[in-house]
Amino acid sequence: MRKFKWRTNTIVLLALLSVAITTLYPLFYVVMTSSRTLEDYNKNAYGLPKFFTLDSYRILINNYSLDTAARNTIIVVGLSLATSLIFSSLAGFALAKYDFPGSKAINWSFIAVMLLPSQILIIPIYLLLSKFSLVGHLPGLMFVYIGTNIPFGVFFLKATFSAVPDTILDAARIDGAGFFTSFFRIAVPNAAAGITTLAVLQFLGMWNELLYAYLILPDQEMRLLTPALASIGGRYTTNQPLVAAALCITATPTLILLAMSSKYLVRGVPTGTGSS
Amino acid sequence: MTSPAVVEVGPSRGPTFAGGRKSRSSRGSLTRQKQRIGFFATLPAFIVVASLLFYPIGYAIWISFLKTDGVTSKFIGFKNYVDIFAAPLVHQVFLTNLKFLVAIPVVIFAGLFTAVLLYQEVWGWRFFRIVFFLPSVLSASVIGLMFRSAFTLNGPINSALISLGLTPINFFARANMAILVVVLALIWAGFGYAMMILLSGLMAIDTDLFAAAEVDGAGWWQRFWYIIIPSIRQQLAFVSIINTLYTFTSLFGFIFVMTAGGPLYSTTTLDYLVYQKAFSAYDMGQGSALAIIIFGVIATLTIAQSKYLRNDDGR
Repeated sequence: MRKFKWRTNTIVLLALLSVAITTLYPLFYVVMTSSRTLEDYNKNAYGLPKFFTLDSYRILINNYSLDTAARNTIIVVGLSLATSLIFSSLAGFALAKYDFPGSKAINWSFIAVMLLPSQILIIPIYLLLSKFSLVGHLPGLMFVYIGTNIPFGVFFLKATFSAVPDTILDAARIDGAGFFTSFFRIAVPNAAAGITTLAVLQFLGMWNELLYAYLILPDQEMRLLTPALASIGGRYTTNQPLVAAALCITATPTLILLAMSSKYLVRGVPTGTGSS
Repeated sequence: MTSPAVVEVGPSRGPTFAGGRKSRSSRGSLTRQKQRIGFFATLPAFIVVASLLFYPIGYAIWISFLKTDGVTSKFIGFKNYVDIFAAPLVHQVFLTNLKFLVAIPVVIFAGLFTAVLLYQEVWGWRFFRIVFFLPSVLSASVIGLMFRSAFTLNGPINSALISLGLTPINFFARANMAILVVVLALIWAGFGYAMMILLSGLMAIDTDLFAAAEVDGAGWWQRFWYIIIPSIRQQLAFVSIINTLYTFTSLFGFIFVMTAGGPLYSTTTLDYLVYQKAFSAYDMGQGSALAIIIFGVIATLTIAQSKYLRNDDGR
């Protein structure tokens, strides 16, 4: 059997705890730093702050128009994610259940571009977007996010929809269900867990993205949160509490999402990224 | 907010649509109708991918033969490629990039270590699994800035060194030290993902194998070498390939926030050099040529790696 005896078990637990501390301590340290004053930090960087303060957060939000950045992020990520999910699930369902001449070729072409590194695309996409004067505008970045997320989305959802039993779909068709009825009434509810997993993965990808977000929205007032906070963090090396607060704001949504959807990520990360 | 890209692909829609009409009027069979539906459901995704990925790939190849700053351009044939292969800077950057590969064995080892321990399902293993995966959901810029703050001259690592009676180290002023800090960040950020993949491989092992091995008197190490490692060979291959790809293509975020490629060019990676050539030096042609060369390198590496690991499997 794979279970250890209790004594080995204790050693294993201690080993895991020490790895967990190296993972968690830096995050704890950043949270502590963000909630102390600069004087307190300079006096004693370790240990608990003398008193907790949200001043650094207040300074960030008031002085760096983070509300605009947050609004831009919600618009870009929300619309890109919705579009990418809708297009990917339509195509994934069709490629899984509605064979047509050329469907295999399309499927393979999606898999091929999935492996393409972003630095090949960044120059032509930048030039293309600037030709249509979309550089510096939110839709430009949305196009990039939708385009780069669809191939993996289709690949992932094709696998998900393939698992929906043909018998249910056939029964529905005999009852007169068309494509959209089958899609919305049967396929999507049956694949809900897979779609949620994909949504979580793609949200994380878009939220954390830096290269395109930085290049396509170069103006300070159009920035999304992650690049905005990265540039603040890059500039104020002497004010560590401020940098730490910026890091916390960037990281919090992703950590909350991880806590809420760990079930989906645990299942989705291995199935989605290969193992096949 | 209509996409100009969609308008561009418009004409190609014409004939197929007309074709659809014809088959409808001639009362196509049920399969014919199914095929048409399948095609139209795939179309939106395909148009987006064609205009935002396929077309740019072709465009990138074209740009790589131009001398262009994005405004004016001149065809110069293979000169960009020749220049890149001849440039000492590119050679130096390539070697630097190889140094970052040292993170990979450590990532795989740490991932395997934690995955095997979690596999024993000790108390709280689900909690540990989430904790180790935690850095994987953070942005490269968050992790990069965290490590940069920790290792700056008057940062916490140096104050710890001082309190131990050692002299502080200016990590980001020395080439190999700067690389070391980035590598540490890569390991911290990456091992949880490797763990997750390897653990999924472990979970799929038939536990009867262990029972049989125990009957045969196999010890823990024997079980590890003869059952666990061969069973997760595929996952190990995947993790090493994906991390190699990552090292050559996705260090931009880390380098951008931690060192900006410096001191001098000593932490400039290949993907950061593409960015610099294209958007700092405005030499889009050379940037594209370099990107295509990188793609060639990683494609070769990926094929070689998967061949090698598959051959191993057959042994």
